Amino acid sequence: MVAILLALAIGFPILTGVICLGIKNHKARAGVVSLTTLVLIVTSILFLRQGSFPYSPPPTWDWVILVLDYVILAYFLFVAIRDFIQRGMSRHNVLAIILTLASGIPLAVFEFSKAGYLPLEAEPTLYIDHLSIVMCLIISIIGSLICVYAIRYMKDHEEHLHVEKTNQPRFFFFMLIFLGAMNGLVFSNNLLWLAFFWEMTTLCCYALIRHDETPIAITNAFRALWMCLIGGVGFTLAIIFAWNSPLHTLSLMTIIESGAVACPVLLLPLALLCLAGFTKSAQVPIQGWLLGAMVAPTPVSALLHSSTMVNAGVYLLLRIAPGFQGTNLSTFVAVYGGTVFLVTSILAISQSEGKRVLAYSTIGNLGLIILCAGINTPLAIACGIMLIIFHAISKGLLFLCAGAIESHIWSRNIEDMEGLAARLPILAGITIAGMLSMLVAPFGVLITKWGAMEAASGIGVWSTLVVILLMAGSGATTVFWTKWAGRLLCHSPLPGPRKPEPIIPLYHGVLILLIACAVVFSILITPIYNGVVAPALAEAGYGVAFTTGHWFLKSPIGIFAAWPIFVVVALALIIPSLRIRTKPEESQAAYMCGENVEMGADEFVAVADERTPLKTGGFYVETALGEKNLNRFVIPIGIVFLIVLFAISVFPLP
Amino acid sequence: MSTGWLVGSVVIAVIVAPLIGGLLRGIDRKLTAHMQGRIGPPIIQNFYDLIKLFGKKPMVAGKPQLVFAWGYLFLIITAVVFFALRQDLLVVLFILGFAGVCLVLGALSVKSPYSQLGGHRELLQMLAYEPILLLAVIPIALKTGGFPITNIFEYGQPLLPNLWLTFIALVIVLDIVMKKSPFDISSSEHAHQEIVRGVLTEYSGPYLAIIELAHWYELVLLLAILGLFWIVGSLWWLSILTPLAIWFILLITDNICTRLTWSWMVKFAWGVGISLIALNILVVNLGWM
Repeated sequence: MVAILLALAIGFPILTGVICLGIKNHKARAGVVSLTTLVLIVTSILFLRQGSFPYSPPPTWDWVILVLDYVILAYFLFVAIRDFIQRGMSRHNVLAIILTLASGIPLAVFEFSKAGYLPLEAEPTLYIDHLSIVMCLIISIIGSLICVYAIRYMKDHEEHLHVEKTNQPRFFFFMLIFLGAMNGLVFSNNLLWLAFFWEMTTLCCYALIRHDETPIAITNAFRALWMCLIGGVGFTLAIIFAWNSPLHTLSLMTIIESGAVACPVLLLPLALLCLAGFTKSAQVPIQGWLLGAMVAPTPVSALLHSSTMVNAGVYLLLRIAPGFQGTNLSTFVAVYGGTVFLVTSILAISQSEGKRVLAYSTIGNLGLIILCAGINTPLAIACGIMLIIFHAISKGLLFLCAGAIESHIWSRNIEDMEGLAARLPILAGITIAGMLSMLVAPFGVLITKWGAMEAASGIGVWSTLVVILLMAGSGATTVFWTKWAGRLLCHSPLPGPRKPEPIIPLYHGVLILLIACAVVFSILITPIYNGVVAPALAEAGYGVAFTTGHWFLKSPIGIFAAWPIFVVVALALIIPSLRIRTKPEESQAAYMCGENVEMGADEFVAVADERTPLKTGGFYVETALGEKNLNRFVIPIGIVFLIVLFAISVFPLP
Repeated sequence: MSTGWLVGSVVIAVIVAPLIGGLLRGIDRKLTAHMQGRIGPPIIQNFYDLIKLFGKKPMVAGKPQLVFAWGYLFLIITAVVFFALRQDLLVVLFILGFAGVCLVLGALSVKSPYSQLGGHRELLQMLAYEPILLLAVIPIALKTGGFPITNIFEYGQPLLPNLWLTFIALVIVLDIVMKKSPFDISSSEHAHQEIVRGVLTEYSGPYLAIIELAHWYELVLLLAILGLFWIVGSLWWLSILTPLAIWFILLITDNICTRLTWSWMVKFAWGVGISLIALNILVVNLGWM
């Protein structure tokens, strides 16, 4: 039974992905993709019912993984060299070549000469616990919804770009095997398996970013490739150091259970795994690849940001957090996560391109999860896990909203979205609700932020710093979300009836499902905590984070009852916005010092009675907070952090 | 604490808070008038104004405007109720933050130059004060062993002697939230200035009344948070007098200062406010206070 479940979660999407590669017919492909998503969703729910279990497939599979790992690395080398020949030398392809070799050669030397025998096994090969089940649910449900949405989006996308020969078979091939690889990643216990699935997600990410094959897409794909390969190098070194440690193991569980306090030699492999996590989660100073990934079709961004890729990094950090509990590395991780959260939240203020705002917000929230892993108390870890869930829902939703908006206005600029609430009320309403779900109480993201703030309020200089970073960053998030929502709402009173919004079932259906998830899951936060988060904490050896009763969360130091706020929001915001109709005689034009032309004309009478159009715009504070200005500090700060990471793991202070 | 007591305090908070708020606004106008050599309106003029505004014909520039006006009021009342129920102080501030977002969205939903300007500036005001407001909870929690307001009552001693640095930071916050000079950046008291009335420009009649009522609640809630610093011990009456004294000082500053720029405000609030609280947390951590 469990073997079948694993085959369905990992193998099935890879199989159907390969099938997609051969299907030319749009309808048939849509059917295959829909079937896969259905199977994945059902499988993930069966995993939840099954609970945790170990599983070791026959040793043949170890050989398969071993070979495929080198196949992927060889492919990276091949594409980088091909790019070198075709487009000439660039920083990106040279670094990709160097880093592929740097992760492949040491691994080969280690496996084929130093280790002594092959294949290297770890008992168990796969281990399924509640943390991996949470991840599997996110990957399978949200990732699947994104794939369903992509069926329609890619059709619109190719029509808009006037693509002669469709590239969709390849696109869905990579989308589906991405989901399979992510499921494999979260279930792996053998570091070699983990490293293989890790490289496989890098491969999918690279292929999907360069999907449109424009020069900028290819450049950004190579940037993503070499930046993620830094993590690959980290993984290779972590494997070698873990094997050479007194534990002599490749089992992640054994390493974590031993911990760096009992066995200080483990600090270095753990730090290297942290580095791998940081690169995958696009943390400063390597945030560039995720921003560059925006050139890809929007479902790719949605997939990368919510349910796959970047989640692998924070998953790994939460997974290994018990291993570095009580060390300086833990403090470092907390301060680093907090710093990333603050700087990216501030950088997001100056962005006028919607998807870049979303990207910075993603990096910031991942920083927040990393901060939780660093604080390393039951409360913090619980909030980190819940933040992955709620962030995945809301961010997946927002990217899909951005994609749907794009298919109407063919722009990603926030200024072009002015007044969308009047033209596309349903879409704009869902988008604004999605933004609020990232920003305000009582939604899940804020409940976890509350928990993180309270968990961070410990004793000591470092926790003071962490809590300041957290609060300041939190203030900055208010600015960019509210500003964007305000641009969507900004319009003049409309004279006469408006055109009804065109309903696209695959877009609106998926969006409504996701926003419903964001609301329902926030209300159901106590059952979610008790059902999946509390068992995950217990399995990782943490104590209890919350006691729950009457639908509130109570920690030793705080209490949050979210449902009364939901009642108020329903009464004060939702019912009026759905029920109230403003009468025409009650609406008035905006105040323009009495020089309005007429109702709804968006014009005023200027000098010499000339009709002048009214223009409004958002504040982006670009001179003070723009990327150009801030990146001068942000990148060096990030580099200093990485140097400190190695300093504290090579020379651990007591 | 018995349920009856809690229900009673909620009812009192919801009914009495706007009465105090309206009265304080009346005194504000009277004192300001005296400082400027005028006689000024009667102290209960603001109640007359509110009733009159509620009686006017509703005029809006769009539906979002009225939705967010109601949201603003109800969320602030919710924050007041959570405060009266002695809930988690951080949660109270989060609800207040949501209310602030509603005020801004209401202003930004109208395509009006003044309202847009005010809305964006209000966001910058929130950027300036929100981190300090949230951070101020940390030293209180470290001192009393938790974030619920109940803890402050059970702590047994007044907080101010140990946490006066945090208190000063909160005074800066109060001044920014009240939009008094030098922080009257997002909206001005009078409509004859360059930003007209900023965030409030497009509100009129009953909807302006809703916003005004919400402001009264907000003012009382923030003064009550300042009051928490003296609430227990034999000097409990100072928890009423201290906030009022602070409020009076802010009125004077309002009358002798001129509006400053938003960049100065953010730098001042983050620089001074965050440093004060960071210092306070460190001092508490080291056990000097």
